[in-house]
Amino acid sequence: MLDIKNLHVAVGGKEILKGLNLRVEAGQVHAIMGPNGSGKSTLSYVLAGRAGYDITEGSISYNGEDLVPLPPEERAAKGVFLAMQYPVEIPGVTTMMFLKSALNAQRRSRGEAEMDAIGVLKTVRKKAAALNVSEEMLKRALNVGFSGGEKKRLEILQMALFEPKLAILDETDSGLDIDALRLVAEGVNGLRSPERAMLVITHYQRLLDYIVPDRIHVLAKGRIVAEGGKELALELEAKGYEQIVKDAA
Amino acid sequence: MTAALALPTRRVEEWKYSDLARALGDAGFGESSARVSVGKPPAGVEIFDLDEPNRPDWVKAHYGKLSNNAVSAVSLAKARGGIALRIPKGKVVEEVLSLDFSGEGHVRALLVLEEGAALTLSEAFDAGETRNAGLEIVLGPNARLDHVRLSPVSDMVQVEEISLTLARDAVYRGHFANFGAKLSRTELAIALNGEGAEAHLSGVSVLADHHADVTTQVSHAVGRTQSTQLFKKVVSGKAQAVYQGKVVVAHGANGSDSRQTAKALLLDGWAEADLKPELEIFADDVKCAHGAAVGDLDADSLFYLRARGIPEQEARHLLIHAFLEDALTDIANADLRETVRGAVSDALNRVSA
Repeated sequence: MLDIKNLHVAVGGKEILKGLNLRVEAGQVHAIMGPNGSGKSTLSYVLAGRAGYDITEGSISYNGEDLVPLPPEERAAKGVFLAMQYPVEIPGVTTMMFLKSALNAQRRSRGEAEMDAIGVLKTVRKKAAALNVSEEMLKRALNVGFSGGEKKRLEILQMALFEPKLAILDETDSGLDIDALRLVAEGVNGLRSPERAMLVITHYQRLLDYIVPDRIHVLAKGRIVAEGGKELALELEAKGYEQIVKDAA
Repeated sequence: MTAALALPTRRVEEWKYSDLARALGDAGFGESSARVSVGKPPAGVEIFDLDEPNRPDWVKAHYGKLSNNAVSAVSLAKARGGIALRIPKGKVVEEVLSLDFSGEGHVRALLVLEEGAALTLSEAFDAGETRNAGLEIVLGPNARLDHVRLSPVSDMVQVEEISLTLARDAVYRGHFANFGAKLSRTELAIALNGEGAEAHLSGVSVLADHHADVTTQVSHAVGRTQSTQLFKKVVSGKAQAVYQGKVVVAHGANGSDSRQTAKALLLDGWAEADLKPELEIFADDVKCAHGAAVGDLDADSLFYLRARGIPEQEARHLLIHAFLEDALTDIANADLRETVRGAVSDALNRVSA
């Protein structure tokens, strides 16, 4: 589904990703682990199509299609979803109105009929209950005054609503206490499916106790330096990044 | 024209950002009289045509008393006719009163709300001609006035001075939606003269290629008075938005509370916004806050919306609407709020977002 080859990315003239290779098949959950500054967030932004991240070399293929020239909105319509580390607050736009605009924009782009307000409301309600997202939250301005846990739950609600083919979760565990983490992880696990690939980006092993990956890649200094099964996370936790990076060298 | 009636030049500080003499050219405002009319007056509203002789006492008591600047002095001297309206003591008018300014030249209007009276005023400023209007508003004790002024895009020079005086516990809410003119100036001079008086001003400007200047002066003459101001501007093309807001808290006006915020979104490199909040405080125990900010759309927000599938143009419009939203929710009357929202949407379709 996702095939990244020799990816080099510069931000503001500084090279952050230096020849990254990654392959994720449908139905799999892969984790990207790495220390601060290793390029984890850069990778997630590049996949979502954020401006200012210059691909100087390499390729990103998604379902056989070159992802690089597509603007963020087209990637979203084609099933790429990024759950962000810091979801933005937008005063003046209610959460419900945002969800409706986004859902219908994606449907339009795919040539599907738009849903009316009642249809959207029913769909959202059904999925919101499982994630403990209240009616009241949906009426509030997007992410404004939301706690860290509420913001992350709303990200996962969007994932459930948009039903992406490739979901990238960028530090979804950051800022969550254990109860919030469990709730978010349950939401994510409920969305695992043979048609869907997931890329879970995290600094800590903790999240992977709840979302168990098929494969783990260690990112350091802009490259994948180690790969392995789920046991690699425990080794990382025990030895620390520094040792793993050294062992790999 | 005598020296006393000369129009201000840009050398006058208050007119620094709006070159009236240049916009008007040699013709000035002309010598004719513009018109003001009331659409279908609701019951209980008393109307007097200022062209008629034998002005009643309430007109004599208030007409021409509040004008306080050079431009309104000109309209007072040159305007013939006009209209005076009175809402008698205790009368609460449920229907919206429409006040429509049209035609070329100078024109005056007077609105008096006596003690305990209440009114919603919808003011329309016709775009077709160059005009200088003067509106005086007198609010008696406990009077309530909701005022919404909407001025469409105009290629003419459009100036209006609105002078208000508020007695004890009177409350004024004014919203000013401007879409720009060759030169557009809305000037508000508000005197909070009685304890407990409140003035709440809000406004939006959406400018594709024109000029709009909102200049306010709020005077807290006595204590326990309140004023809030929230003005939002969206400026594109070669448009220019101006906000000058001066708040004066007089000596002894303790317990006064004043807040003013002006924000502008500049959508491209030629657009200009001049935001100038000013405070003069002569009292000790007051709460005053002011702020101004000029910026572009937030890149993080724009990316977030696009990453969720909303195309760039739609995402930009959504964020611009969101930027204006809090200034629009201040309009109390739901019908008028929707009218202004509609005008804002139309204007946003014209700006190069």
